[in-house]
Amino acid sequence: MKNKRLKKVTVTAIMAALATVLMFIETPLPLFPPFLKLDISDLPAVICAFAIGPLWGVLVELIKNLVHMTSTQTALVGETANFIVGASFTLCAGIIYKKRHTKKGAVVGLAAGILSMALAGVVANYLILLPLYSPNLPEAEKASLVFYGITPFNLLKGVILSAITLFIYKPLSSILHR
Amino acid sequence: MLRDITLGQYFPGNSPVHRIDAMVKIILAVLYMTVIFIAKSFLAYGLVAAFTFFVIFLSTVPIRFVLRGLKPLLIFIVFTAVLNLFMTGGTVIWQWGFLRLTREGIIYASLMILRVVFLIMSTSLLTYTTSPIALTDGIERLLTPLGKIGFPTHELAMMMSIALRFIPTLLEETDKIMKAQMARGADFKTGSLIKRAKALIPLLVPLFISAFRRADELAVAMECRCYRGGKNRTRLHESKVGRIDFIALGILIVFSALVILSNKSG
Repeated sequence: MKNKRLKKVTVTAIMAALATVLMFIETPLPLFPPFLKLDISDLPAVICAFAIGPLWGVLVELIKNLVHMTSTQTALVGETANFIVGASFTLCAGIIYKKRHTKKGAVVGLAAGILSMALAGVVANYLILLPLYSPNLPEAEKASLVFYGITPFNLLKGVILSAITLFIYKPLSSILHR
Repeated sequence: MLRDITLGQYFPGNSPVHRIDAMVKIILAVLYMTVIFIAKSFLAYGLVAAFTFFVIFLSTVPIRFVLRGLKPLLIFIVFTAVLNLFMTGGTVIWQWGFLRLTREGIIYASLMILRVVFLIMSTSLLTYTTSPIALTDGIERLLTPLGKIGFPTHELAMMMSIALRFIPTLLEETDKIMKAQMARGADFKTGSLIKRAKALIPLLVPLFISAFRRADELAVAMECRCYRGGKNRTRLHESKVGRIDFIALGILIVFSALVILSNKSG
């Protein structure tokens, strides 16, 4: 294969398609309100970031959400939130794994990814999404809603996502780097 | 089950709304959403409502289709409304324990419901009257200026069309692997969260392997056909900005001015 970049383009595109497919296999979480669902659609982005580079992983997130926009039901707000949260996780994990290409690097990267995802979730919800929908909520109420309602969900999602990534990346990497 | 899922919600037709160029329609939708965010009085929302229903009528999309899009967000709408209803300070009308109903709260909650409802209706209308392929094309043309500063606009659009093309294929593949693993005794639906996450691994590994293989084959196929990126690439269907697009833009600008004016009066 002469054209390395073309290979990256097709892998990214197919991973984005797979991410969209995985969006449909959502599992409702016990203990959380029913509209917060666990979806593993960030998985292809993380795998893509590990395999061919962090920016390509972010592209997977971008394309996934652009495709999802063609059937949006939240006036693009859901897609924007998903992109901000997913891209921060992917980018952070991908950059650290690129620097430390070992199993330990992957674990550290994913842990950092979880933290940055939780942080991005707080920032996105606090500064962009809640003000758009409930602009005159008192500061204290807003903070408690974000910290108790959204952060635990993002943390749990990140942990599950990282665990699955660690399990499946090893069997996949032999096929990826042929 | 999985096979029955269709992506996008395009409602084919040949109305004036369908015929507006995709790129222009995206710009119009964004402008319209901004107008909805600007609207602050009930009079302004009355105008928004009238305009939205007028466009729905023009588009020939059955109104129940547009209303159906609101259903999944019903909980969210009620949640925001309640939040706004009780958390807004102002003149107290009714109080019971920590629940406090204010005049301002009622006004804000109803305005918020109107805002969310019309935002969702306008974006649904965009996706009902534009096919995913046309939207992809519109996004590519919209991002063209970014190409000047090195953003891979063409590649992004290419990836998006590949993704759209392969979603049905991968859905079928997922369905097939799920059934194969279920025949071997896999259980995806019951058990604790950890158990369910674990059950996904035998599904995900073959799925990823098959996806990578497809990406490989696609890259080879594109290379064999001398694909070399966006430079000098021609299209079968060229879309052009025409008269109808300018008319639509003009109508929306007049409408925005009306909304801003009515904000002051209300």
